[in-house]
Amino acid sequence: MSQFSASEVERHIGQFLAARVNDDVPVDRDLFASGLVSSMFAMELVVFLEQAFALEILGEDLKRDNFRTIRSMTDLVLRLQPAETHAEA
Amino acid sequence: MPRPEPLAGARELVDRLVGDRAADWDRDALLPAGVPRELAAAGLLCAEVPAEYGGLGATSLANGAFTAHVGSRCSSLRSVMTSQGMAAWTVQRLGSRSQRAQYLPALTRGRLAAVAFSEPEAGSDLSAITATIEPDGDDVVVRGHKVWTTAARYADLIVVVGRYRSGAAAVVVPATADGVTVTPVPQPSGCRAAGHADVRLDGVRVPGSAVLGGGQPIGMLVTAALAYGRMSVAWGCVGILQACVDAAAEHARTRTQFGKVLAEHQLVGRHLANLLTARQVATLVCEHASRCWDSASPEQVIATVVAKQVSATQAAHGAATAVQVLGSAAAHDGHVVTRGYRDAKLMELIEGSTEICQLILADHVVSSARRKVTQ
Repeated sequence: MSQFSASEVERHIGQFLAARVNDDVPVDRDLFASGLVSSMFAMELVVFLEQAFALEILGEDLKRDNFRTIRSMTDLVLRLQPAETHAEA
Repeated sequence: MPRPEPLAGARELVDRLVGDRAADWDRDALLPAGVPRELAAAGLLCAEVPAEYGGLGATSLANGAFTAHVGSRCSSLRSVMTSQGMAAWTVQRLGSRSQRAQYLPALTRGRLAAVAFSEPEAGSDLSAITATIEPDGDDVVVRGHKVWTTAARYADLIVVVGRYRSGAAAVVVPATADGVTVTPVPQPSGCRAAGHADVRLDGVRVPGSAVLGGGQPIGMLVTAALAYGRMSVAWGCVGILQACVDAAAEHARTRTQFGKVLAEHQLVGRHLANLLTARQVATLVCEHASRCWDSASPEQVIATVVAKQVSATQAAHGAATAVQVLGSAAAHDGHVVTRGYRDAKLMELIEGSTEICQLILADHVVSSARRKVTQ
């Protein structure tokens, strides 16, 4: 499985958000505080991240803080994507 | 190598189990215990559970068409199927891998489950849920009062949504645990045999490993859990419309008044045309949403709400139209279109009422329409 770099992940997420809300979203913009994201939209983000980066977001990782900014989503993706040199735990 | 079709023979099994007894089950407000049990044991009440967890691994599209078939025969049985599937989905969506491995094989091999959301003061506004899931050592203690929990009367496991830490969680509670009281809703107006019940949880102690999710905002948790239920209800409404089309066509083709069959009376013909278009519209929105699920598209989230909204309202209108076409022939409890009329109206109330779905869709319109001002 291919690994994504932080900048690739950030760009991917930024493009998805820009298309979805017809606006550019800075990487540190708080999506919840800015009213951009409802619960429905948060689920769209979950499904998008799972599909785009071929990973599963389970259990406690579904907490809202992980989806608060493009940067926090990037951190989540980097943490969850399977390491290249290790078999999956 | 082509895989065997996971739902092969499923329709025939349902037809054999339901036979011509759906009217009796509706009048009795009770399914024979063996019927949901046998379908559950075959994995058919939650057919989308992946094979690695003992499920049939059906696609959303295939399971949707199967759900519509069940709905065309008996909406009560289809409601039980919706509950089981939603419980399985909640485990899959919110649970860890070990929780999936613990609960999903049980649900595909005969155990029955319900999901408890609503409370006396938390219906459309599920953010007002007051049930609590409190950690106590290695256990949690569950307290609360749930109402209108579909299939709870038949359930071995009840997935209870409640407050947990700073947010919410769902917890899997055995129906036989100390402190659980299940009281059937007397004479529900629709899906009468679906086993709707009130559930009281008086200090029910279960292991901490039964807690699914961990403190998500309640809106997010509920949105995640309900998504499957909305798809299932939407497809069930396609089934109601199918049954209504069939019954109206048969009656209009054979009943003669004023010297000709009803179908040749233009005002009746219009009803038939409207029923056909209602079925087609509902089918297409459901197929679209299911394809979004099967391709893991983020659009599945909103397409699911569109499908539920369109399908439930079309079914409610369509069933009323079918009642009108059949007239006194259907004006008694148990008749397929009269059941459809009551069942479809209930489908406009549950899994997000028509109005709640409209609010969600309106919010989506606004959030998608933000305009860049830099051009």
